[in-house]
This record gives sequence, C-alpha cells and structure tokens, in this order.
Amino acid sequence: MVGEPDRHFSFRGRPRSARDGETLLSALSRDRLPLLHRSIQYHRPQGPLCGIGHCAGCLVRVNGRPNVRACRYEPASGDSVTTENAWPSPTWDVLGAIGLITPGGVDSLHGLRRPAMATRLYQRFVRRLAGTGAPPTDAASRALLTPAVERSSEVAVLGAGEAGRAVATAFVARGIRPVVLERGLHPPSVAGAELLGATTAVFLPPPPEAGEHRFTLLAFREPAQGVRIDARSVVVATGGYDASLLFGGNDRPGVLTADAALSLAAPPRPPPFHRAVVVGGGRRAAEVLEMCGNAVEAVVAPGEIRPDVVRAASDRGILLYPRSLLLRAGGRKHVRSVRLRARGSGTETSLACDAVILAHRRVPHAQLFFQTGAVMEWRSGVGAYAPTVSANGATSIPGLFAAGSVAGVPPSEFARHAETVVDSVVRGTGPTGPAPSPPREGAPTELLGYYRELLRVPGHGRWVACPCVDVLVSEVERAVRSGYRGIEVVKRYSSLGSGICQGRYCLPDALLLLSILEDRPPSEVGYITQRPPVVPTPLAALASLSTPPAAEILP
Amino acid sequence: MTFARGSYRTVVVGAGIVGLFTDYHLARAGGGPILVVDRGFLSSGASGRNGGGVRQQWETRGTVRLARESVQTYRRFGLEFGFNIWFRQSGYLFLAENEGELARLKNVHALVASEGLPSKVLDAEGIARLVEGIAPGATVGGTYLASDGTLYPFPAIWGVYEAVRSLGVEVALGVEVLGVETRDGRVAGVLTSKGPVATSTVVNAAGGWSGDLSRRAGLGVPNVATRHEILATESMKPFLDPMVVRVSDGLYFSQSMRGEVIGGLTLPHRPGTSRGVGSSTAFLTAMARALVGLLPRLGAVGVLRAWSGFYDDTPDGFPVIGEDPRLPGFVHGNGFGGHGFMLAPATSRRIALAALGQPTDLDPAQFSPKRFLGPSPVAAVERLQLG
Repeated sequence: MVGEPDRHFSFRGRPRSARDGETLLSALSRDRLPLLHRSIQYHRPQGPLCGIGHCAGCLVRVNGRPNVRACRYEPASGDSVTTENAWPSPTWDVLGAIGLITPGGVDSLHGLRRPAMATRLYQRFVRRLAGTGAPPTDAASRALLTPAVERSSEVAVLGAGEAGRAVATAFVARGIRPVVLERGLHPPSVAGAELLGATTAVFLPPPPEAGEHRFTLLAFREPAQGVRIDARSVVVATGGYDASLLFGGNDRPGVLTADAALSLAAPPRPPPFHRAVVVGGGRRAAEVLEMCGNAVEAVVAPGEIRPDVVRAASDRGILLYPRSLLLRAGGRKHVRSVRLRARGSGTETSLACDAVILAHRRVPHAQLFFQTGAVMEWRSGVGAYAPTVSANGATSIPGLFAAGSVAGVPPSEFARHAETVVDSVVRGTGPTGPAPSPPREGAPTELLGYYRELLRVPGHGRWVACPCVDVLVSEVERAVRSGYRGIEVVKRYSSLGSGICQGRYCLPDALLLLSILEDRPPSEVGYITQRPPVVPTPLAALASLSTPPAAEILP
Repeated sequence: MTFARGSYRTVVVGAGIVGLFTDYHLARAGGGPILVVDRGFLSSGASGRNGGGVRQQWETRGTVRLARESVQTYRRFGLEFGFNIWFRQSGYLFLAENEGELARLKNVHALVASEGLPSKVLDAEGIARLVEGIAPGATVGGTYLASDGTLYPFPAIWGVYEAVRSLGVEVALGVEVLGVETRDGRVAGVLTSKGPVATSTVVNAAGGWSGDLSRRAGLGVPNVATRHEILATESMKPFLDPMVVRVSDGLYFSQSMRGEVIGGLTLPHRPGTSRGVGSSTAFLTAMARALVGLLPRLGAVGVLRAWSGFYDDTPDGFPVIGEDPRLPGFVHGNGFGGHGFMLAPATSRRIALAALGQPTDLDPAQFSPKRFLGPSPVAAVERLQLG
C-alpha cells in the first residue's frame, strides 16, 4: 500500500515528499519523531504521543485548515503544511520563555487579578496566547463541504479490527449485510459488508424510547464528510488504546504510545527511533519487540516482565529493568535519556535512548457506551470504566452489544464470541448473565502502588498531569488540598482533561492520582462522563447531516 | 456524613451560584447558622454548565437594573473573592434577521440607554466589523452593549463557595431534600436523604429542580425544567470579541478566553429533568448548521464537546423571588430561565433579605411568587430569553 515518494508538499515552506498511502506524520518522521507542536500554555516542546488522532502532539495547519492531525492526514501533492502556536518555529519558540520563567506554572485561578485596572490588559495578553491555530480560512472551510452519507441498516458494526471483522463476517454468513465503520484510513474490505473506512463513530445517543431498537449514529469520514447511520442493532467493537504514564517529561518528542510506535514502524518503513526504551512487561510490550525489537534498547516495567518478553529481549540483547520507576525523560527538545529507579533497592540508573514507548496498559475505548447511558462498571483489571456486558455481549441497552476487547474478551476468544454476539442480535436475545471476569493485565492495583512511590519523588509537582491543557501535578494536589474532591470537581477546578483529547490520556492516570491524594479506592473517585463527540468533529460534517424531526429525537 | 447541628436558622437548597451568593449575603447579615444542601457535586447543575454570558440588555427596567448591579459585582469579583473569573467585557451583540426583529431590539436599546448604559444600534456593516467573516445578508442590524461580557463560571463558584465556608456556612453536597416539614402552617424543618434538619426558613435555590422542591413542599408552582444543549469547539486564536445572539432561533456563541467557540441554540425539548443531561443529534446538527450558516469559515473547526443543563423556566420569563404567601418560611430564589449566573449577584441580595423577613425593592408584580397565584394573567413578559 505504501509506494514510492510521489506526493510532493511543502512543510514550513520547504519541499517534502510522501509515499502514496502514507500519513503526514509518517512522512515527517523519517529518522525520528518530529517536533511539530508546542504545549498550549507554557510552550513546552510537545511530541506526537498517540498516533491515533487524539492528542495535540501532531497538530498542524494544512492549506489554511487549523488543528489537522498529521497522524490522520495523508498529504496530497501541492499541500501547504505549516505549524501552529509557535513563533518563529516549534524548534525555536520565543514563547517557550513563559515555561522557563514560571516553572511552577501560572495560577490562572487566583493570579492576574491585581491591580483591577490592569485586568483588561491581562485578558488581552492571555487571550492572544490562547488557542492553537488561527481560525480557518473561508476557502479551507468551503473545500471541506461534501454531501453526507446517510444509511439505514439492520445492524451497524463499529470497528473493523479483529473482533469487528469477525462480527461482520458472522452477520454476512447469516445473510445480513452490516454497515461497518472503521477509523483506520485503509482497512481491508469485509466480504458482503458495507465498509466505511477512515470513518469515526462520534455520537451514539440512547434510542428515543426506552427498550426500542432504533439507534441513530453520527460519524464522520476524513476529512469532514458527515455520516449518519440508522440501525436496529449496534455492535461496538472499538477495542482499546495504549494509556499514557506520569513521569517527568512525559510529553517530550520521543515519548509515544505503543499505538503510535506500531503504526509508525509498520513495514516497509524503518521505525523513527533507533534506541527506544519500552515501558511495560506484558503482551503489548511483546508486540512492540516483535515489530521493532532491533530498535529497542531496554524494557522497563512497573512490575514483573513476562517470560515471553524476557525471552524476546534476551534474544536481541535488550536490557531488562523489571519493577522500576520511570522518573523522567531527559532532553530539551527530544528524548535523549531516561532516569530509572529500582523499586526495591532504590538504585538509580540513566539510560541513553531516543524514544520511550508506552506499552504498560491498554484501556477500553468506551465513550460510545457512556453516551448511550449503558450501565458502566469499574474494571479494576484495566483501571477504567467499561460497559457491564453479559456473556453474549449484550449491554443494559436493548440492541446495543459489545464485542472484542472493549467487552473484556481476550483475542483468542474473539471469533467464538463474535458468533455468540451475532446469534443474540439475530434472535433478539437480551443479557444472558454475567460474562466471565476478564483476565488481568497491567493491573492498576499495581500501578496504584507504583504511583504512590512516584508521588514521593521530589519535584513531581512540576510534572505534567494533563498535556493538552498544561495542568501540572501540583495543581491537582492543590485542588485536593483546598477541599475539592472527586474527579468531576477536580477536573473543573484544575481544567485537567478539558483539552483537545478530552481527557482520554490524562484521566485514567488522574483517577489513580486522586485515589492516592483523596485516600479512597479509584472506583470512588467518581465517574468521568465523557461527552460527545468521541473525537473533534468538523462543524461542516455535522452541518451536512439532515436533522430528524425534533419530536422524534429530542429527549 | 451527618450535619454538624440538628437545627439551623436557614437551610438553602441548591449550591449553585444563586444559592451560594444568597448564603454569602445571609451570613454577612448575621443570618446564621446556615446549612446549604445540594443533590450533586459542586458545579453539577446549570451553574457549571452555562456559556458564561452576562448581559444587561433586557426588555424591562427591573431586569436591566438587576443585571447592571450584577455586572458591578462581577467586575469586583477578583478583589472580593480571590478568584479570577476572567470577566471580559467585550460586549453582547443581538442580531436581527428582519425589520420586525430590529424594531423590537430598538425598543430594548431605548430602554437600556435610558438606564444610562451606552447601548448602540448597528447596521449590517457595523456588525460585519464586529464579527469577522459573517455571511453576507445574514443580518439587517442589531444592538450592541460593550459593557456586557462573558466570564468563566467555575472560579466564580469556587470563589463564593470558599467565601461562604470561611463565613461559617455549612455546605453539604450529595444531599437531596425529600420534603419540607411544617408546623402551624409554617416551615419547621426539612427532611433530607441524610436525615431531618430543623429550620424556620427554607430557601429554594434549586435551579432546574426548584419546581420539584416546591411541589414536595405541597406548593403548586409553574416552574418547568427545560433541557438546553451547548457545545464547545477546538480552541483557536482570538477572532471574535462579543457574545453574538440571534433573536430568531436563540443561537448564541462567543469565543472564550481559551479560544473555544462556546454556544447553543433553543430547541423544543420535552420538559422535566428525568432524562438527564445528554446531547442530541438534533442539537449537534442544527447548531452546526446555524454556526456554519452565519460564519462559513467555521466549517473546518472541530466540535470538541457537547453537553446540556436545565433552565428553570417560568411562564413570564422572570425569576421568582420572595416568601411564598401560602407557606411562611418558604422563600423562592428560582425561575431564572437560564439567566441565574447573570442575575445572581443582585437577586441574591434580595433573596437573602426575603429570607431574613425584610422588604425588598423588587416590583412584586414582576418578581413575587404571588403573581402566579391570582386569577389575572401575568403583566409583562420577558421575551429575550436567550443567550
């Protein structure tokens, strides 16, 4: 799919090229991860973290359109790509001085109030600094206008990963043609199903009448085509994503999740790193070693390292650091080293490296379930909320099913489980009783102990708890000290989780952090109500969709 | 958790901006001991779900004056309460799509100007200068008042919350009021989900839940909770200063200090709080169409999040302030119709006075709970129930 360089675009005025089917991020990551972005408040160098279109680390401006995720965009010949929110460039940004002169952060809750006559001046100054890109040009917005895709279908399958494909195939085998939505830009087709690639499901409200099988799903297809699917049943197989981790410099260019590493290192491209440190000792770490083990220097794990990872590592001469705290990633504009501390002995080690790959925990992509109002439960094995799912995939909402890892099903069971789910959808079977409890991996009870040790490290208050909004750990601690409790209130007090990823990367860690600071189990710290849309959705896409009669769908 | 005391002079129901400001004035007037209870967490109701608009352009003199007084409080807020609410006075712009709407706005302008506020009438060109990129022909004109503005609601809540706590007010969160106990025809206590509390005065500042609370106290009231939806976009560099409100469909939006465009639109939702604070496809699509229609350049901007909250609506669009004549000791501070944040600083002073049994300067025909009790229809109606 990835061919010779045949797309010629300009990046910051210089000619660059991309292969057919290659993302902009990949094209800009030839030798190492690029520095494309500065953090929103303190203008710290911030790197592409997630590789799947959630974080702020690869936002660029393309042909007058702001906030384009380089990891989700395939450049066309003639494109003009520039960077945002940095002057003169992300590499040398004058505003980086803000972060340097205020290492403890700027207190926007209490600060800049005096003298009263200066408030207008402060406001003008702060406002000028806010925001990522400049507003779009008229032409950029007009270029996105496309007629919407609107479909009515018996079933919609959300996600065409391994589990989603198994479900779709099982429907086809029963003579039902499902509509399948997949975020990936070039998913392989599913025989007999209608597959919409590059399409992200963003909003799945509950059916208008309780108990009625009638879903209206909103989605958008890159770059901005509106998609509306009406379906009697919906099977959600959205899988999971690799979580972030709290340490010093955790959003420095070079720090990336396993999702990003695996997509950027997919053959035939060489990985954009040469001496990576992989964090995690479980299945995900094994996958990273398998794909790009030759570019890995060491494996560091909060807990033990699984025997198969140990074997894979020793075959390649990779160093192993089980039961270690990752204290910080060093390097100003790119990761150059990491500092580790052995959890038993307290011995500290520095390792030279050019990337930190986070493969220690995978959390479910469960936002659509939150939106439908399905009953959710705290899954202590992954340290996140997920829908309460019965053995046949049924949720508390009639007609809404979960399949694959978002339902807690291990990969070895995907195919068998898909058959059960599809049988239940076809027969209209409801919940059949509790599913067997999912296997524990990267157990957050262990992460809780890990974070407890980490919060005793001097200087941790200056670490970044929420990279999208530049919220420091000390600001979260101050909120709790001032008497604000629970994730909902602390989130509003500190602005944590209110940025471009809407908390997808900071909230799983923040729950553990608050559990420690408030001295109660993470499940009692509260619920994170994730709001639609699942990912930022262009107004042009939403505007192109027909609005059903208000009486029909307004609760 | 139980309460620190068994008996309070006043129990305020609702720890939103109206309830907290009322506590503040009550406590400063020596009205303690005071207990405030709220069914949710701090900022879980409309006070934590609004667009942060504060305006003084209204259709009646009474409301204009309350709003003007509130603006003065918000201007001083940082010095008085220690929190920066980023109250940015960069104006409210009302848009008319036809001459009829413009004539109505001109009446508002005349009233607002007669109160000494420098309101302006703008033509389409004047509006295009304030709203960069507005679609040609989208408006025939409108009114603008530069001293209106927007604020960041959360620090306002934290500020008043911390102030009332330091004045000795007890704040109990996650506590629901199940009923009001009476003795000899007046308030004697409240029954809560955490047990009974004795009190002679109950203030109903429960926002979207205030109608439910009054009815639990046996009082028929016309308050109706209506869900209103709102969304925020990805942040951008500043391009829009004023809050923009369109009269025809209630479209309103502004660009926050953080650069997000935040706004909503009026849709005919079913009344009642029981269906929660979700979003709807109708809102997302209609709002997107309205925004892109008015400002075509926003098409490429991503919607970051959408949420909703409850307006506490009254038939005439005015809040209900004062003691209920049917139940002495039961004081209303509700019915703000989505404008609690704008009017809280001024109205809460009057609510506190009413709770202390003192007279207020409010016109009873416009604000008293008595106005819904008589056979005659209500006098004036506020139609600027937007933005």
